Amino acid sequence: MDAVTRLRGLIIDDPQGKDFRVHRDVFRDPEVFDWEMRHIFEATWIFLGLESQVPAAHDYMTTFIGRHPVVVSRDDKGGLHCFINSCRHRGAKVCHRAFGNRKYHVCQYHGWSYDSSGCNVHLKDREQAAYPPSFDKDDHDLVKVRKFASYRGFLFGSLSDDVPSLEEHLGEARWFLDLVADQGEQGVECVPGRVVFRFRSNWKMQLENAVDPYHFTSTHASYIHILERRQKSAAADVPTSIYTNIRNSGIRRGSFAFAHGHAAMWGDTPSPQARALFPTYDSLVARHGEVRARWMFHTRNLSLFPNMQIAENASLQLRVMRPLSVGETEMAIWCMGPKGEAAEARRQRIRQYEDFFNPSGLATPDDVANYEDCQSGLAAESIEWQQCYARGFEASVAGADNFAEEIGLHPERSLIGPAELGDETAFHPAYREWLRLIEAGLRKEASSPQPPGKVAVKVTK
Amino acid sequence: MSGAISNDQAEAFLYQEAALLDEQRWKEWLELYLPDCKFWVPAWKQDHELVDDPDAGLSFIYYESRGGLEDRVWRAKSGTSVASIPLPRTCHQVTNVRCEQAASDRMLVRSAWSCHVFDLRASAQHTYFGHYTHLLAAEGGKLRIAEKKIVLLNDLITGFIDFYCV
Repeated sequence: MDAVTRLRGLIIDDPQGKDFRVHRDVFRDPEVFDWEMRHIFEATWIFLGLESQVPAAHDYMTTFIGRHPVVVSRDDKGGLHCFINSCRHRGAKVCHRAFGNRKYHVCQYHGWSYDSSGCNVHLKDREQAAYPPSFDKDDHDLVKVRKFASYRGFLFGSLSDDVPSLEEHLGEARWFLDLVADQGEQGVECVPGRVVFRFRSNWKMQLENAVDPYHFTSTHASYIHILERRQKSAAADVPTSIYTNIRNSGIRRGSFAFAHGHAAMWGDTPSPQARALFPTYDSLVARHGEVRARWMFHTRNLSLFPNMQIAENASLQLRVMRPLSVGETEMAIWCMGPKGEAAEARRQRIRQYEDFFNPSGLATPDDVANYEDCQSGLAAESIEWQQCYARGFEASVAGADNFAEEIGLHPERSLIGPAELGDETAFHPAYREWLRLIEAGLRKEASSPQPPGKVAVKVTK
Repeated sequence: MSGAISNDQAEAFLYQEAALLDEQRWKEWLELYLPDCKFWVPAWKQDHELVDDPDAGLSFIYYESRGGLEDRVWRAKSGTSVASIPLPRTCHQVTNVRCEQAASDRMLVRSAWSCHVFDLRASAQHTYFGHYTHLLAAEGGKLRIAEKKIVLLNDLITGFIDFYCV
């Protein structure tokens, strides 16, 4: 069986027959993981970080696009650049820290030096080198990623030219980024304190979980119990939670499926007065109108395919996923808040974040344990198909529902229902884009005489 | 107990705390803490710079009373948290203990710690390590913890962490 045939056999997407299925090999086959690296993570827009994380001249941060280590760096004129973190000479990384400030990136190995825009500014002992003319024809700058763009301070890069503009890629999912960016008059920022954790499961467990309302009451039962214990104990110093009274609140949950693999889940907030944003409600209405301010107070989880999620529920969290292998994933997570937020609101936001979201919190560890349990169970090779893509099928409608219309969006599909509906249709767009990108990549490879990225070596005698 | 705390008492107290954690005698462990204790595991801002203000930066855990620790002990034993089923086996080591008299009845104790974790869920093991700073108080005839700061040096978290493995 050729690769494309095998690939197409891993997803069943049959809207007429009302069937959507994902084969378990998607989560457990190293060949599939290799496809994902080459044709998704190294072929489409990947989230890198926030402009506000590199605010000053010569600030830099390091991250990854697929398996490529990259640097986002601000030059002396304020311009941003993204280049591959690999000296052109022998390949050594030139930036060693997660965050730093360097006017020049000097490779410690042989002293090749680059400025903060990635240009080679010094090649040690060049005059004495007796280089042949062919060497001087080469470009010695750090290799720029092919596409690099910002949407409202959210930075994305792509190793491939063959992508739509960032705005087109994000499509209407941008509205959900706007709703975060607009919470502060000067935008939003990451709270100091970087948390990174790794778990032993495929990255798509996290991809799905962000828009999975079904797991909440079972996976996070201990968190819900603790909120109830706190209500009874009436202790003054415990963190407040927007989930207080979740069992009695009859909340609705909706979802929107967007183009290019993105999805959003939203819902009523059981205790909106617990939101750190609550004291600023009137000012948000004045700046953004009643409808957008109201939506800022809905719980909203945005999943931007493939590697970035923003969850605004217990607090406001930015998540960046980095798949390490078919069965291991790294997550870098941040607490976000409006710039210039009042000290008491910021404190409340941080306490709520720590309570729920950290890998040391009262909720995320149970998500992680479930991902790992899934990966362990998926070792059962004889079982082919997951059964987690069918809930909500009959409630999902093509195009906009009333809620999408209220905010002027035209998603591919919309859904609304009680929280207990446990929608799983919001997983579908990611797998449609997953299939589209990998298939395009495999076909391109099949029609190309050389594997991509490999340059033919001319042997002359 | 009243008045001065001896270095030997402080050191023995730290070892006893570690043993109570490893033996899952967590109700007794909680009793080592004053009701208004501070418990702090700060996150890192930069390579060698910790979050220094828990109200302006992130922590792994930050409480200004014992209530938050009581929540965690309840959760770990509740049977409702899949991350806690089964609980890992842990072995804390506390060493390099240095005592400094902070007041007539208070002792500031700095130490190095490590915790070996055997994760029964994953049949895997890992180690966390760092530094402790305890502020011990002699109250009601007993030594109690007024403040504990835990610096986690290897903050690349394997899955998740909780009070029993730091």
